[in-house]
Amino acid sequence: MKGDEPRGAADSLDRARSGDRVAFATLVRSHQRVVYSLALRMLSHRHEAEDLAQEVFMQLHRSLAGIQSDTHLLFWLRKVTTNLAIDRLRRDRKRATLPLDDDPGIADEPLESDPLLQRRLRELLALLPADPRAVVVLRYQEDLDPTEIAETLEMSLNTVKSHLRRSIATLREGLADSSVTPLSRDSL
Amino acid sequence: MNTPLDDELRKALRPVDPDEGFAERVMRRIDSTPAPLQRRPRWFPALPVALAASALLGTILIYAWHAEREQQRQGLEARRQLIEALHITGEKLDLAYRGVNGETRPPAPDDTGA
Repeated sequence: MKGDEPRGAADSLDRARSGDRVAFATLVRSHQRVVYSLALRMLSHRHEAEDLAQEVFMQLHRSLAGIQSDTHLLFWLRKVTTNLAIDRLRRDRKRATLPLDDDPGIADEPLESDPLLQRRLRELLALLPADPRAVVVLRYQEDLDPTEIAETLEMSLNTVKSHLRRSIATLREGLADSSVTPLSRDSL
Repeated sequence: MNTPLDDELRKALRPVDPDEGFAERVMRRIDSTPAPLQRRPRWFPALPVALAASALLGTILIYAWHAEREQQRQGLEARRQLIEALHITGEKLDLAYRGVNGETRPPAPDDTGA
Protein backbone atom coordinates (compact mmCIF):
# COMPACT_ATOMS: atom_id res chain seq x y z
CA MET A 1 0.00 0.00 0.00
CA LYS A 2 2.97 2.29 0.00
CA GLY A 3 2.83 5.12 -2.52
CA ASP A 4 4.52 4.36 -5.77
CA GLU A 5 4.14 6.90 -8.52
CA PRO A 6 3.07 5.48 -11.86
CA ARG A 7 3.12 7.92 -14.74
CA GLY A 8 -0.66 7.65 -15.26
CA ALA A 9 -1.39 8.70 -11.70
CA ALA A 10 0.91 11.70 -11.99
CA ASP A 11 -0.77 12.66 -15.26
CA SER A 12 -4.19 12.39 -13.67
CA LEU A 13 -3.00 14.61 -10.82
CA ASP A 14 -1.63 17.22 -13.25
CA ARG A 15 -4.82 17.22 -15.30
CA ALA A 16 -7.05 17.27 -12.22
CA ARG A 17 -5.10 20.26 -10.91
CA SER A 18 -5.86 22.10 -14.13
CA GLY A 19 -9.59 21.49 -13.65
CA ASP A 20 -10.12 18.26 -15.62
CA ARG A 21 -13.15 16.56 -14.04
CA VAL A 22 -12.52 13.21 -15.69
CA ALA A 23 -8.98 13.21 -14.33
CA PHE A 24 -10.25 14.01 -10.85
CA ALA A 25 -12.78 11.15 -11.06
CA THR A 26 -9.88 8.89 -12.07
CA LEU A 27 -7.96 10.04 -9.00
CA VAL A 28 -10.98 9.24 -6.83
CA ARG A 29 -11.28 5.76 -8.31
CA SER A 30 -7.61 5.00 -7.83
CA HIS A 31 -7.61 6.05 -4.16
CA GLN A 32 -11.18 5.30 -3.03
CA ARG A 33 -10.21 1.91 -1.64
CA VAL A 34 -7.60 3.36 0.73
CA VAL A 35 -9.79 6.23 1.88
CA TYR A 36 -12.99 4.22 2.29
CA SER A 37 -11.22 1.36 4.09
CA LEU A 38 -9.53 3.73 6.54
CA ALA A 39 -12.86 5.43 7.21
CA LEU A 40 -14.64 2.11 7.59
CA ARG A 41 -12.12 0.61 10.00
CA MET A 42 -12.10 3.81 12.04
CA LEU A 43 -15.88 4.37 12.18
CA SER A 44 -17.10 0.74 11.85
CA HIS A 45 -20.14 1.94 9.96
CA ARG A 46 -20.61 1.68 6.20
CA HIS A 47 -22.76 4.73 5.64
CA GLU A 48 -20.67 6.97 7.86
CA ALA A 49 -17.53 5.66 6.20
CA GLU A 50 -18.95 6.47 2.77
CA ASP A 51 -19.93 9.95 3.96
CA LEU A 52 -16.51 10.59 5.45
CA ALA A 53 -14.72 9.26 2.36
CA GLN A 54 -16.79 11.58 0.16
CA GLU A 55 -15.94 14.48 2.44
CA VAL A 56 -12.23 13.65 2.14
CA PHE A 57 -12.41 13.77 -1.67
CA MET A 58 -14.38 17.01 -1.54
CA GLN A 59 -11.61 18.51 0.57
CA LEU A 60 -9.09 17.11 -1.90
CA HIS A 61 -10.95 18.83 -4.74
CA ARG A 62 -10.51 22.16 -2.93
CA SER A 63 -6.88 21.46 -2.01
CA LEU A 64 -5.53 20.06 -5.28
CA ALA A 65 -3.29 23.07 -5.86
CA GLY A 66 -1.24 22.15 -2.80
CA ILE A 67 -0.70 18.49 -3.76
CA GLN A 68 2.76 18.09 -5.22
CA SER A 69 2.94 14.43 -6.24
CA ASP A 70 1.04 11.17 -6.08
CA THR A 71 3.11 10.15 -3.05
CA HIS A 72 2.13 13.40 -1.38
CA LEU A 73 -1.48 12.77 -2.42
CA LEU A 74 -1.53 9.36 -0.72
CA PHE A 75 0.06 10.82 2.43
CA TRP A 76 -2.48 13.68 2.37
CA LEU A 77 -5.43 11.31 1.93
CA ARG A 78 -4.36 9.06 4.80
CA LYS A 79 -3.73 12.03 7.04
CA VAL A 80 -7.01 13.82 6.31
CA THR A 81 -9.07 10.62 6.50
CA THR A 82 -7.68 9.56 9.87
CA ASN A 83 -7.91 13.08 11.30
CA LEU A 84 -11.52 13.51 10.19
CA ALA A 85 -12.38 10.06 11.56
CA ILE A 86 -10.71 10.83 14.89
CA ASP A 87 -12.66 14.12 15.07
CA ARG A 88 -15.94 12.29 14.42
CA LEU A 89 -15.18 9.60 17.00
CA ARG A 90 -14.36 12.23 19.61
CA ARG A 91 -17.55 14.10 18.76
CA ASP A 92 -19.66 11.00 19.06
CA ARG A 93 -18.22 8.90 21.85
CA LYS A 94 -21.31 6.69 21.94
CA ARG A 95 -20.16 4.81 18.86
CA ALA A 96 -18.12 1.96 20.23
CA THR A 97 -19.73 -1.21 19.04
CA LEU A 98 -19.95 -2.72 15.62
CA PRO A 99 -23.53 -3.43 14.50
CA LEU A 100 -23.90 -7.13 13.70
CA ASP A 101 -25.40 -6.57 10.26
CA ASP A 102 -22.98 -3.81 9.43
CA ASP A 103 -19.73 -5.71 9.76
CA PRO A 104 -18.03 -5.06 6.46
CA GLY A 105 -16.61 -7.80 4.39
CA ILE A 106 -17.68 -10.75 6.44
CA ALA A 107 -19.23 -12.39 3.41
CA ASP A 108 -16.05 -12.28 1.38
CA GLU A 109 -13.47 -13.32 3.94
CA PRO A 110 -10.52 -15.17 2.39
CA LEU A 111 -10.97 -18.89 2.60
CA GLU A 112 -7.90 -19.43 4.76
CA SER A 113 -9.12 -17.03 7.45
CA ASP A 114 -11.58 -17.52 10.24
CA PRO A 115 -14.52 -15.14 9.72
CA LEU A 116 -15.47 -15.15 13.38
CA LEU A 117 -11.92 -14.35 14.46
CA GLN A 118 -11.69 -11.53 11.91
CA ARG A 119 -14.97 -10.18 13.09
CA ARG A 120 -13.99 -10.36 16.76
CA LEU A 121 -10.76 -8.51 15.98
CA ARG A 122 -12.72 -5.73 14.26
CA GLU A 123 -15.11 -5.56 17.22
CA LEU A 124 -12.20 -5.26 19.63
CA LEU A 125 -10.59 -2.63 17.41
CA ALA A 126 -13.82 -0.62 17.51
CA LEU A 127 -13.52 -0.54 21.30
CA LEU A 128 -10.12 1.16 21.22
CA PRO A 129 -9.96 4.94 21.70
CA ALA A 130 -9.63 7.01 18.52
CA ASP A 131 -5.86 7.61 18.51
CA PRO A 132 -4.72 4.02 19.20
CA ARG A 133 -7.32 2.77 16.71
CA ALA A 134 -5.86 5.02 14.02
CA VAL A 135 -2.37 3.76 14.82
CA VAL A 136 -3.44 0.10 14.53
CA VAL A 137 -5.38 0.69 11.31
CA LEU A 138 -2.47 2.50 9.66
CA ARG A 139 -0.08 -0.22 10.82
CA TYR A 140 -2.08 -3.24 9.70
CA GLN A 141 -4.26 -1.96 6.89
CA GLU A 142 -1.84 0.46 5.26
CA ASP A 143 1.28 -1.42 6.36
CA LEU A 144 2.98 1.80 7.49
CA ASP A 145 5.92 1.58 9.84
CA PRO A 146 5.82 3.51 13.15
CA THR A 147 7.83 6.43 11.72
CA GLU A 148 5.37 6.87 8.85
CA ILE A 149 2.43 6.59 11.26
CA ALA A 150 4.00 9.26 13.48
CA GLU A 151 4.29 11.59 10.46
CA THR A 152 0.75 10.89 9.31
CA LEU A 153 -0.85 11.43 12.70
CA GLU A 154 1.60 14.12 13.84
CA MET A 155 2.49 12.14 16.94
CA SER A 156 5.85 11.39 18.47
CA LEU A 157 7.42 8.07 17.54
CA ASN A 158 7.32 7.01 21.19
CA THR A 159 3.59 7.72 21.39
CA VAL A 160 2.97 5.62 18.28
CA LYS A 161 5.02 2.73 19.65
CA SER A 162 3.26 2.98 22.98
CA HIS A 163 -0.20 2.97 21.34
CA LEU A 164 0.77 -0.02 19.24
CA ARG A 165 2.13 -2.00 22.20
CA ARG A 166 -0.88 -1.31 24.41
CA SER A 167 -3.41 -1.86 21.64
CA ILE A 168 -1.93 -5.23 20.70
CA ALA A 169 -1.98 -6.23 24.36
CA THR A 170 -5.63 -5.17 24.62
CA LEU A 171 -6.59 -7.06 21.46
CA ARG A 172 -4.71 -10.13 22.64
CA GLU A 173 -6.50 -10.05 25.99
CA GLY A 174 -9.84 -9.55 24.28
CA LEU A 175 -9.27 -12.51 22.02
CA ALA A 176 -8.09 -14.69 24.86
CA ASP A 177 -11.23 -13.83 26.84
CA SER A 178 -13.54 -14.61 23.94
CA SER A 179 -14.41 -18.07 22.77
CA VAL A 180 -14.10 -17.41 19.05
CA THR A 181 -10.36 -17.67 18.68
CA PRO A 182 -8.97 -20.91 17.36
CA LEU A 183 -5.49 -19.61 18.18
CA SER A 184 -4.13 -20.71 21.47
CA ARG A 185 -3.31 -18.06 24.04
CA ASP A 186 0.38 -18.86 23.63
CA SER A 187 0.41 -18.50 19.88
CA LEU A 188 -1.13 -15.01 20.10
CA MET B 1 8.95 -10.99 12.96
CA ASN B 2 5.23 -11.37 12.45
CA THR B 3 3.18 -13.03 15.16
CA PRO B 4 -0.03 -14.92 14.33
CA LEU B 5 -1.93 -11.95 15.74
CA ASP B 6 -0.17 -9.60 13.27
CA ASP B 7 -1.27 -11.85 10.41
CA GLU B 8 -4.83 -12.06 11.67
CA LEU B 9 -4.96 -8.28 12.06
CA ARG B 10 -3.77 -7.79 8.48
CA LYS B 11 -6.49 -10.13 7.28
CA ALA B 12 -9.14 -8.49 9.46
CA LEU B 13 -8.16 -5.03 8.28
CA ARG B 14 -7.63 -5.77 4.62
CA PRO B 15 -8.81 -2.89 2.42
CA VAL B 16 -12.31 -3.08 1.01
CA ASP B 17 -13.95 -1.19 -1.83
CA PRO B 18 -16.84 1.20 -1.34
CA ASP B 19 -20.16 0.41 -2.99
CA GLU B 20 -20.35 0.62 -6.77
CA GLY B 21 -20.50 4.16 -8.18
CA PHE B 22 -18.57 5.84 -5.35
CA ALA B 23 -16.60 8.17 -7.65
CA GLU B 24 -19.80 9.24 -9.41
CA ARG B 25 -21.41 10.02 -6.04
CA VAL B 26 -18.36 12.08 -5.07
CA MET B 27 -18.54 14.03 -8.34
CA ARG B 28 -22.28 14.65 -7.88
CA ARG B 29 -21.68 15.91 -4.35
CA ILE B 30 -18.92 18.21 -5.56
CA ASP B 31 -21.23 19.54 -8.30
CA SER B 32 -24.08 20.13 -5.85
CA THR B 33 -21.91 21.98 -3.37
CA PRO B 34 -21.70 25.69 -4.12
CA ALA B 35 -18.19 26.90 -4.78
CA PRO B 36 -16.74 28.74 -1.82
CA LEU B 37 -17.04 32.49 -2.14
CA GLN B 38 -14.04 34.38 -3.46
CA ARG B 39 -11.90 34.75 -0.41
CA ARG B 40 -11.61 38.37 0.60
CA PRO B 41 -8.81 39.79 2.65
CA ARG B 42 -9.42 39.25 6.34
CA TRP B 43 -9.68 42.98 6.95
CA PHE B 44 -12.19 43.54 4.15
CA PRO B 45 -15.44 43.39 6.18
CA ALA B 46 -13.95 45.87 8.67
CA LEU B 47 -13.13 48.46 6.01
CA PRO B 48 -16.57 50.18 5.78
CA VAL B 49 -16.86 50.12 9.56
CA ALA B 50 -13.41 51.66 9.91
CA LEU B 51 -14.25 54.37 7.36
CA ALA B 52 -17.53 55.18 9.13
CA ALA B 53 -15.79 55.25 12.49
CA SER B 54 -13.08 57.58 11.10
CA ALA B 55 -15.71 59.94 9.66
CA LEU B 56 -17.61 59.96 12.94
CA LEU B 57 -14.45 60.56 14.92
CA GLY B 58 -13.46 63.42 12.59
CA THR B 59 -16.87 65.04 12.97
CA ILE B 60 -16.69 64.75 16.74
CA LEU B 61 -13.18 66.27 16.83
CA ILE B 62 -14.18 69.20 14.60
CA TYR B 63 -17.29 69.81 16.70
CA ALA B 64 -15.26 69.67 19.91
CA TRP B 65 -12.64 72.04 18.49
CA HIS B 66 -15.36 74.44 17.36
CA ALA B 67 -17.14 74.27 20.72
CA GLU B 68 -13.89 74.97 22.53
CA ARG B 69 -13.18 77.98 20.28
CA GLU B 70 -16.68 79.33 20.93
CA GLN B 71 -16.30 78.81 24.66
CA GLN B 72 -12.96 80.59 24.56
CA ARG B 73 -14.46 83.51 22.63
CA GLN B 74 -17.37 83.74 25.08
CA GLY B 75 -14.91 83.65 27.98
CA LEU B 76 -12.87 86.51 26.52
CA GLU B 77 -16.03 88.55 25.89
CA ALA B 78 -17.22 87.96 29.47
CA ARG B 79 -13.81 89.00 30.76
CA ARG B 80 -13.85 92.13 28.69
CA GLN B 81 -17.34 92.99 29.95
CA LEU B 82 -16.29 92.32 33.53
CA ILE B 83 -13.27 94.58 33.24
CA GLU B 84 -15.39 97.31 31.73
CA ALA B 85 -17.98 96.92 34.49
CA LEU B 86 -15.28 97.09 37.15
CA HIS B 87 -13.85 100.14 35.49
CA ILE B 88 -17.23 101.93 35.50
CA THR B 89 -17.90 100.87 39.07
CA GLY B 90 -14.48 102.20 40.10
CA GLU B 91 -15.22 105.53 38.54
CA LYS B 92 -18.62 105.75 40.27
CA LEU B 93 -17.10 104.86 43.61
CA ASP B 94 -14.41 107.42 43.16
CA LEU B 95 -16.99 110.07 42.37
CA ALA B 96 -19.10 109.13 45.38
CA TYR B 97 -16.02 109.24 47.64
CA ARG B 98 -15.20 112.71 46.54
CA GLY B 99 -18.79 113.85 47.09
CA VAL B 100 -18.82 112.48 50.60
CA ASN B 101 -15.52 114.16 51.49
CA GLY B 102 -16.70 117.60 50.17
CA GLU B 103 -14.19 117.69 47.47
CA THR B 104 -15.18 119.90 44.67
CA ARG B 105 -14.93 118.85 41.27
CA PRO B 106 -12.07 120.42 39.51
CA PRO B 107 -13.42 123.29 37.53
CA ALA B 108 -14.25 122.62 34.06
CA PRO B 109 -12.35 124.71 31.54
CA ASP B 110 -15.49 126.65 30.61
CA ASP B 111 -16.44 127.45 34.31
CA THR B 112 -13.62 130.00 34.90
CA GLY B 113 -15.53 133.18 33.95
CA ALA B 114 -18.75 132.54 35.88
